[in-house]
Amino acid sequence: MTDTQVTVPDVRPQIVDNRQKQVLGWVVAVAGAPVIFGAFVAVKGVNPFTVYADMLTSLADPVQGQAVLVRAAVLLLAGLAVAVPARAGLLNVGGEGQIVIGAVSAAGVGLIADQRLPGGLVLVLMVLAAMAGGAAWAGLAAGLRLTVKVNEAISTLLLNFVAIDIMLGLIYDPWKDASGFGQPSSRPLADTARLPLFTTGGTLNAGIVLALLALVGVWAALRYTTWGFRLRVVGGNPEAARRAGMRVGPLLLSAMLVGGALAGLAGLVHFAGTEFKLRPGMTTNFGYIGFLASWLAMHRPLRVGLAAVLLAAIAMGGDSLQIDAGLPAASLNVLMAVVLLVVLGSRLAPRRKS
Amino acid sequence: MSVAAETRVRRGPAPALLAVRGLTCRFGDVVANDGIDFEVAAGEVHAVLGENGAGKSTLMKLIYGVYRPDAGEFDVDGVPTVIRSPAAARAAGIGMVFQDLRLVPAFTVAENIGLALPMRGPLLGRRALSRRIVEASERYGLPVEPDALVRHLSIGERQRVEILKVLMSGARLLILDEPTSVLAPQEVDALFVAMRALRTAGLSLVVITHKLNEARAIADRVTVLRGGRVVLRNADPAGFSDAELVEAMVGQTVPPLPRDRAGSDGGVAPAVRLAGVRAAGDRGHTALHDVDLDIRPGELLGVAGVAGSGQRELCEVILGLRRVTAGTVHLGGAELHAQPRQAIAAGAVGVPEDPVTDAVVPGLTVLEHLALGRAAGGGKRVGVDWRAVAAQAERLDGTARLRMAPRHRVLGELSGGNIQRVVLTRALGEPAAVVVAAYPSRGLDIATTRRTQELLIEQRDAGAAVLVVSEDLDELLSISDRIAVLHDGHLAGAVRPEETDRYAIGRLMLGGRAA
Amino acid sequence: MIVIEVLAGGVRGGTAILYAALGETLAERAGIINLGTEGSMLAGALTAYAITAETGSPWAGVVTGALAGALLAAVHVFMVVARGANQLATGLVVLFLGGGLTAMFGAAYVGRSITPFRPYAIPLLSDIPGLGPVLFDHDPLVYLSYLLAPALWWLLFRSRWGLIVRGAGEHPAALSAYGHSPKLVRYLAVIGGGLLTGIGGAHLSTAYANAWFENMTTGRGFIAVALVIFAAWHPLRAVGGAYLFGAALALSPALQARGYGFNQFVLDALPYLVTIAALIVLGRRRINAAPEDLSRVFDLTPSR
Repeated sequence: MTDTQVTVPDVRPQIVDNRQKQVLGWVVAVAGAPVIFGAFVAVKGVNPFTVYADMLTSLADPVQGQAVLVRAAVLLLAGLAVAVPARAGLLNVGGEGQIVIGAVSAAGVGLIADQRLPGGLVLVLMVLAAMAGGAAWAGLAAGLRLTVKVNEAISTLLLNFVAIDIMLGLIYDPWKDASGFGQPSSRPLADTARLPLFTTGGTLNAGIVLALLALVGVWAALRYTTWGFRLRVVGGNPEAARRAGMRVGPLLLSAMLVGGALAGLAGLVHFAGTEFKLRPGMTTNFGYIGFLASWLAMHRPLRVGLAAVLLAAIAMGGDSLQIDAGLPAASLNVLMAVVLLVVLGSRLAPRRKS
Repeated sequence: MSVAAETRVRRGPAPALLAVRGLTCRFGDVVANDGIDFEVAAGEVHAVLGENGAGKSTLMKLIYGVYRPDAGEFDVDGVPTVIRSPAAARAAGIGMVFQDLRLVPAFTVAENIGLALPMRGPLLGRRALSRRIVEASERYGLPVEPDALVRHLSIGERQRVEILKVLMSGARLLILDEPTSVLAPQEVDALFVAMRALRTAGLSLVVITHKLNEARAIADRVTVLRGGRVVLRNADPAGFSDAELVEAMVGQTVPPLPRDRAGSDGGVAPAVRLAGVRAAGDRGHTALHDVDLDIRPGELLGVAGVAGSGQRELCEVILGLRRVTAGTVHLGGAELHAQPRQAIAAGAVGVPEDPVTDAVVPGLTVLEHLALGRAAGGGKRVGVDWRAVAAQAERLDGTARLRMAPRHRVLGELSGGNIQRVVLTRALGEPAAVVVAAYPSRGLDIATTRRTQELLIEQRDAGAAVLVVSEDLDELLSISDRIAVLHDGHLAGAVRPEETDRYAIGRLMLGGRAA
Repeated sequence: MIVIEVLAGGVRGGTAILYAALGETLAERAGIINLGTEGSMLAGALTAYAITAETGSPWAGVVTGALAGALLAAVHVFMVVARGANQLATGLVVLFLGGGLTAMFGAAYVGRSITPFRPYAIPLLSDIPGLGPVLFDHDPLVYLSYLLAPALWWLLFRSRWGLIVRGAGEHPAALSAYGHSPKLVRYLAVIGGGLLTGIGGAHLSTAYANAWFENMTTGRGFIAVALVIFAAWHPLRAVGGAYLFGAALALSPALQARGYGFNQFVLDALPYLVTIAALIVLGRRRINAAPEDLSRVFDLTPSR
């Protein structure tokens, strides 16, 4: 359809109109945020220039570089899990819970099967289970929205905590690893069922491939398919979609299920690629950071990829911060928050005209 | 004509309460008001006439301080005054009754008025406030119930509250923006009685309207705007014929619609049949009561009624958008099961009452809007065939000739009138079996309104069953083969235009029997 | 008496949530939802703890903690009102900001000891059997919250200022038509809400846990947001909800102390499940109770 002579209109002119302003926003964010964060660091009595120098050096280190990509893969999936429902006008704040449930589902399959079946097959089963689990958890919220009109932003948020409690309940009791030195966690996944690594001894695993495949798939589906077009219509005005004869309920449900499946996949990538066992705090806010990555990218898939790498790099800088400057790793949340505030704030909302 | 007109201009009954000179207001390249001179005398009703887009609302918002002028001066009681905010306007005794009535539905009447009154501090003094409201409502002859929730009031009652609110906050000059657009003729009469009483009490009123007969009925003087300029100032409406006033408003004369009615032969089976239809409104109340209605192919049925009498629900039931709680709806002989897809498949198209809420996806282009129905249809193709959509757009635009905006424009950036053109082109550009058009000419200029009416008649002549809801009885009388009147969800009667007049219809609208 | 222990624990543990929920009620009544409540609580908790540690006065701690909570809320409302940013996204960012800042500046106070608020049994009232120990044997911030909830109710539903606040949440155009500034009202309501939320955080560190540690609120801010919806944006109903959630938090330690072995995470999930259940059962009525302009935040989120 791109090679026709018929003037196919630019499908998204409003984005074109805003592009300059957005680029400016990104530049200001990238330039301004470190200054603000540097001020906080300086108040703490640490030289901000040393901090940034350390962070950049550590990112240049291939080991750290791999770690950034490992993290970016999870964030990318978590971001897409927000971006797809957002196309349909749904707010998926529940990435965190869907990731946890994805990881729990994968772990459940792994615990049962990893000693009995060939590793590759176990991995495939875990992928399916994780995506189904994540989709089901998101589908719960979508179902509540469609049947009893409970707002999905609220229900997905609440379900995050329930999901975490489910995981904790499992690893504190039925799935508890007896040889876990008293730390509550599940038994580690067998080596054969883990996501394969690119280099022996490295950390970069096949998760990045899954994430990129998902990225391309989501991008193409949203851009070229009727389903993607319908999602935009429903997201822009569900009543208009209904009046045009679209099945609004199933469309909303499909968007949320796809989002949940992507988040479940993120849970699998984190579990079978990095963690190998369930433990408290294993998701470290991936869902929320993915939410913000999606907003940073205005829910556009390719930009979610960029945002995921950026946010992953900031977070990985936290490790060097902790080691070199003695600041807690969570301090980097400040840098991330400042970047996001500047970007969110530099985008003037042209929504309502009086 | 203006030279001749000056001789017929009447002096105001008293020195000007408000005079503006050289008022100019630009939005980007558009000059909405261009050097406007305007005055209101104490104790007069002054109508500002003009088409949509003539600059009436802009002028009023300048006077009320919502917009700031790029040039121009205000005199209040002959004293130069700066009005750069609604607060300044209110301080000068100018009050505005907005078309969309700025009331909080979740608040009581007293709370709404309390919000508007110039008071200070945290205390409300509920009892004293209620007393003041009762006093004021008696003084001005505007009965209201202080403790009633605004949500439960009718539009007419809300308008009374709004007017009282403006009066109680100390206004001497009231600006009423299209106050009759939501009222039945008899309610309009009641409003006019109240307005005359206010005039007698020494207050000044400015009425924005595009309806000639109303301007004649209520106004002491009229000022006509066209294209942001004054074309007729301080004129006595009695001194002008309708044709002269229309020409002033439009800048050209509009020939009347041909009134040849193709005889609707009773033999054909109805394209739309409603039998004993009951349906609930959005608030859960019964909005349609046992409605029996047939529309034959080749018939244009007008629907009249006070706003909120079940028009919306009637349209939605026929388009499969709303479930019936009793009775049946048949389209082309097949029973409809509240599925929009089914209605669309049966050849039904709709023009929604409120296109911005019901039909417009703000981020989509004109072309993409034309693709809406196509993409909604069967899932044979994975992608959208944009080439076919573009070809269809060409066809629709060529047939409808409504001067639709360029196809790459995004709907969110279009004005209300341009949005309506897109919606109308999509619905009326190709023949349909059933057309359900709610307020099709809302927000359109006179020429486009005319073209829209022609399109509706063309659809009828091509054999469509056409239903048109309108608040403009003159429009209904001129295009309909038959007019059905809704009152409170009941079908109060159906009349033939050639056998009735607006007051007979008005009686039905208010629940009386057909004469 | 496990019942009295759990109920008293519910009041004690629910107070922090109550302050945050009251603050959030005020903000949401004005039309702004602040998911950053958790961040404001953390800021309040750390600031109160640090100032108490430095000055020895928990009251000085509470005042500064309230200001810290207000400061974070101010960031949120500025982003939303002045910059047009999305409320939900900004709220989450503010949460991360609060979490990060308190982690950064709080490390020095982990393990420091302070002179916390002491419980003060009200004479006579605390001797009432049952009711006394549940309600009248607490620290001063608990008593303050008893006054605050009705005060907020009066402010919102009986005073002229409340009319303006609710007007901003219902129909800002009606407000601005009469010379009030919805923006100003929203600034004040959200910042005022942040003050209350900060007090909630201060209660947590200087009267409840008597300690500071990273991320010590563990989701209480989110419970508060859920509670506001559960209570249909009504301050008095929030009181009952807060104590209910507080009791759920107090029940598992109480049971475990008596040797009942069970999986405490079932109980931990309870507040969230109860809120979801309430949303389902009362769904429609709750939606109607929501301030009209606020519901638009949830309804049609532009997804460009």
